[in-house]
Amino acid sequence: MNCEEIQKLMMAYLDEEISDKEKELVEKHLTECEKCRNEFDSFTQLKEVTDKVKLADLKEDIWAGYWKGVYRRIERGAGWFFLSIGAIILLALGVFQFFKNLFLDPSVSFIVKVGICFLAFGIIVLLVSIIRERVFAFKKERYREIEK
Amino acid sequence: MENDDENLILLCQKGKIRAFETLVNRYKKNAYFIALGLVGNSDDAFDLSQEAFVRVYKSINKYNGRSKFFPWFYTILTNLCKNHLKKQNVRKKYLSNEIAREKLTQTQESEGESEKESLKQKLLDEIDKLPYKFKEVIVLKHFRGFSYKEISETLGIPVGSVMSRLYYARKKLKENLKHLKG
Repeated sequence: MNCEEIQKLMMAYLDEEISDKEKELVEKHLTECEKCRNEFDSFTQLKEVTDKVKLADLKEDIWAGYWKGVYRRIERGAGWFFLSIGAIILLALGVFQFFKNLFLDPSVSFIVKVGICFLAFGIIVLLVSIIRERVFAFKKERYREIEK
Repeated sequence: MENDDENLILLCQKGKIRAFETLVNRYKKNAYFIALGLVGNSDDAFDLSQEAFVRVYKSINKYNGRSKFFPWFYTILTNLCKNHLKKQNVRKKYLSNEIAREKLTQTQESEGESEKESLKQKLLDEIDKLPYKFKEVIVLKHFRGFSYKEISETLGIPVGSVMSRLYYARKKLKENLKHLKG
């Protein structure tokens, strides 16, 4: 086995994920190759340090409340969803009623009706454009430049 | 096998929220510590791990059972972490303000040996600087104690690649720590 193949097995040796046969191969190579032996010694030292480092745990009461936090987020998400649907329905109805009354009202002049129509059309075009841009950004650029 | 992940997901798909609670409790520590290892801040890690579970719940009906639950969850969690890191880097770039890294370590020895403490903190800082694909194998191996097979399944890469990544990650760490000590 060459040094490159041994490098991978060195990791398995250090992490005790090696078969007896592979262990023999690594040990044999290390007795013969000084470069790999030195590298293995320095990896062993590094592992001694990394094994002593543990990420600080959270208090038990924080763990106990973890699920409640997730549940509240799910509940809130559902709340916002229904609220949005309700708001869209009411808004659409209000807009429909407004235009219906506006066009049926003979006291409102024709030019005012045309002006309001252009205004409404402009708002709709702007909204569609913003929504389309947001959707495009969400789909295409969300994790761009991030390697997996 | 009533309580295995796939059965729990089937129950979630039928609207049983208790089944999802069992899944959350099963993986909450892995989720939090992986996020902590990747983003380096406990508040953010807690928030990101919870958000990952919410996203999983929202898309639970898309899960088809062809792959295991944890690798699927891991992808969602790490995408959130990557996105968070990306935003943080942009913020750092524009504010020119180093975001203070929390002291995240707890040592096994009670006596505060400052030199060892400092080396451990440096080690964490160096892990943080590793390229992402090396950082994640170190986090899974050292902070969560995953086996090579578990890392391979979680990341969807062969065991040989896990060993290679660990080799290069440790080599880089070794070089950087040597430089710091010298």
